[in-house]
Amino acid sequence: MSAVLEARAITKRFPGVIALREVSFDLRPGEIHALCGENGAGKSTLIKLLSGLHPHGSYEGELLLDNHSVQFRSIADAQRHGIAVIYQELALIPELSIAENLFLGCEPRRGLLIDWEKLYTDARIILARVGLELSPETPVGQLGVGQQQLVEIAKALGKKTRILILDEPTAALAEREVEILLALLRDLRARGIACIYISHKLDEVFAVADRITVLRDGATISTHPTATTSKTRVIRDMVGREIKDLFPRTVPPVGDVLLRVDHISAAASPSAPARLHDLSFTVRAGEVLGIGGLMGAGRTELIMHIFGAWGLRLNGQVMIAGRALPAATPVEALAAGLAVVSEDRKRYGLVLDRDIGFNLSLSSLLRLRRGLLVDEEAEVRANQKFFSSLRVKAPSLETVVGTLSGGNQQKVVIGKALMTGPRVVFLDEPTRGIDVGAKLEVYELINRLTAEGRAVVLVSSELPELMGMSDRILMLHEGGLGGEFTRAEATPEKLLAAALGRRLAAA
Amino acid sequence: MKTKISARDFSLILSLVAIWVFFAVASPQYLSARNLSALSVELAITATLALGMLLVILPGHIDLSVGSGVGLIGGIATVLVFNHHWPAPLAFLPAIAIALLIWFAQGTLIVRERIPAFIITLGGLLIFKGAFWLVINTHTVPVAPGGRPNLFSLLTTYYLPPLASYALIALVLLALITVTLRGRKRRASLGFEIDDPELAFLKLFLTAQALLLFVLCVDQFRGIPLPVLVLGVAALVIQVITRHTPFGRHLYAIGGNEEAAFVSGVPVQRVVIGAYTLLGGIVAITGLLQTAYAGASTTTVGDSMELDAIAACVIGGTSLRGGRGTVLGVIFGALIMASLLNGMTLLAVSPELKFIARGVVLTLAVWMDVKLAKR
Repeated sequence: MSAVLEARAITKRFPGVIALREVSFDLRPGEIHALCGENGAGKSTLIKLLSGLHPHGSYEGELLLDNHSVQFRSIADAQRHGIAVIYQELALIPELSIAENLFLGCEPRRGLLIDWEKLYTDARIILARVGLELSPETPVGQLGVGQQQLVEIAKALGKKTRILILDEPTAALAEREVEILLALLRDLRARGIACIYISHKLDEVFAVADRITVLRDGATISTHPTATTSKTRVIRDMVGREIKDLFPRTVPPVGDVLLRVDHISAAASPSAPARLHDLSFTVRAGEVLGIGGLMGAGRTELIMHIFGAWGLRLNGQVMIAGRALPAATPVEALAAGLAVVSEDRKRYGLVLDRDIGFNLSLSSLLRLRRGLLVDEEAEVRANQKFFSSLRVKAPSLETVVGTLSGGNQQKVVIGKALMTGPRVVFLDEPTRGIDVGAKLEVYELINRLTAEGRAVVLVSSELPELMGMSDRILMLHEGGLGGEFTRAEATPEKLLAAALGRRLAAA
Repeated sequence: MKTKISARDFSLILSLVAIWVFFAVASPQYLSARNLSALSVELAITATLALGMLLVILPGHIDLSVGSGVGLIGGIATVLVFNHHWPAPLAFLPAIAIALLIWFAQGTLIVRERIPAFIITLGGLLIFKGAFWLVINTHTVPVAPGGRPNLFSLLTTYYLPPLASYALIALVLLALITVTLRGRKRRASLGFEIDDPELAFLKLFLTAQALLLFVLCVDQFRGIPLPVLVLGVAALVIQVITRHTPFGRHLYAIGGNEEAAFVSGVPVQRVVIGAYTLLGGIVAITGLLQTAYAGASTTTVGDSMELDAIAACVIGGTSLRGGRGTVLGVIFGALIMASLLNGMTLLAVSPELKFIARGVVLTLAVWMDVKLAKR
């Protein structure tokens, strides 16, 4: 079968780096083709090339559409040829209605005015195609992430898209929403729309893809029909080695209580209702406490509140190593020995247009002082220590952070937190959107931290990760405690029931 | 950092040369020692204020009130000297204290009450203008009673004698060479990239040429004007603050990503209030200099200086969104503004046209900033 879209021997160079070397890739009509690879393997670069973001002339090699050579000059150009990309970050305007978002920039008109009637009728038809049973007048801001994703896809379909490219579409979705999305993709495939699917979640890839192509270090490693390959095989192709144990937790002896949270209640603002209800827990030195719960259960709010970056304390208190930490600011929390690796690294973690060194030392500058000035020798030494111990893949400390891959950006955020010498480390979704190899590095880091006698609080929405890496697990339910489990007690069923606010009969 | 000369830097240098060639052809006096000396005073005043402005633009804020502030602070000092017969140095103290206090208050309002800096300082612009006119009673108040020179009038009429000027420049060059060599050695030992020796030498050589040429020129008149020394000190201090203190790094971090800075433990509110307070100090210094340069406190002292300062920042590569900007760039931007304004004054261009020219330059500069930010 001939390909609808083909990339032949593509080489893309950035200053100092070759992002893609001689990569070839083909997409057949009506197929779902998964693209797998570690962060920095070249997936995003390839997508940007296929979608016109890197225009023709900025790379070597050839793109073919229906066996004819094409030269995309811009994203709009690629869209005209029927290629649409749906990125991790949603590009919808929350204040506008679904219908307005769907037709943003190409509103149906009658004369100079917008033809509202047609806009809403057409919107309803398009929404039906993606199985969204919502009024097109609903503001997008009221939708969940999963529904917004479907609106994005609907938007692409509205533009007569033949080739749909999805970049980590399920990173922020709950399990049920993922299923809806996958079902939709199968449905689109039946209607002849070809799809490139990028995901780190191999379960999904194997559930939906017809073929799987693995990239590593900018080169194509393998392309196989899903039926004739296996997860082990794909993982080995991705990392160049076998990963035997995905969750290598080693439990060190536990020590004193480092963090004690007593009956905490908090709200977003003085006028808002309480968002966290009467939460209490402790974490000991050497221990990993996992915190789970459904989206919106208050996990991020809880740790950001303890850290002093979210909300208003209504009740309760926090003790660090036996000393009370009053309703604090991040400055005081850091000084007391808390550190946070935030879930949204681009928003809360990094100054993207600054270099790695600037970001690594940002939280530690007040400690790295000699008199009034920054002790630059000490700063560079500290930066180099974390740069090499976390194995950040970049030419030097002076590489701008925004140019790094997700996994390497995450390492910079983690390095920044660790440089403050924390006793308690909060990791909020530390492996979201990063690849298998980098995940393993994060897990090994957690082991190292606890072996050094620190306490780790791990927030995760992935149950296997929570059960694999935590010594104890706390499930939140609507801002309150849903249940607490030891590693031995925890089963997916029990955790899920606790997250839903139900208790299973004692096992 | 390793030197990278961008198309933008290059076009700036070209525009400066174009401005100089144009005015030199249009008016033979433009390149005379006397005028260059005056130009250097005007540059010093504009650049000093612009460096203060840099401190609040870096974290993503702005200040429209500095022009009125310059008038007001100069006015307070003048009235104390002329009407109340205070000795000049003593009159400077309350003027400076008031400036620090006012800008501390503006900074506090901006960060604690979360009112946009644009609005607060627009209010400040009007309030300080009114207060200024009240203080000088809408009269013209000379800075030196009876025309006898005092410390106030000397601010812009004192010149470092020619010989001393040469000695000072020699010292500055020596310091520059030492700092460059030590910096190279340190970067090399830490494994960072450094400039080629030739390029580094060329940079030093050009800097030395420029400084020597400057001293040769001003020494033909009376020597280095005092405001240039003030600018030198201000530039050095602000360079050290922005590049080598936690406070300065925090300014860049807040401008680059305020939320990330907050979560990283940057005391955002304290830093921004600190930046505004420092700006207050700069406004005080500029107010005294500008009033002394005018010879008297009159209702127009400080007019549209906020725009010159903002233009100098933006021309010099400072991003109005925050997070990007350098001391050297700002001084260069101020040099372009000062060269332009001085030339127009020399050609006796009407005030109407001067306003239009200023506006065009400011608009072009911001347009360039926006275009640059998109890439």
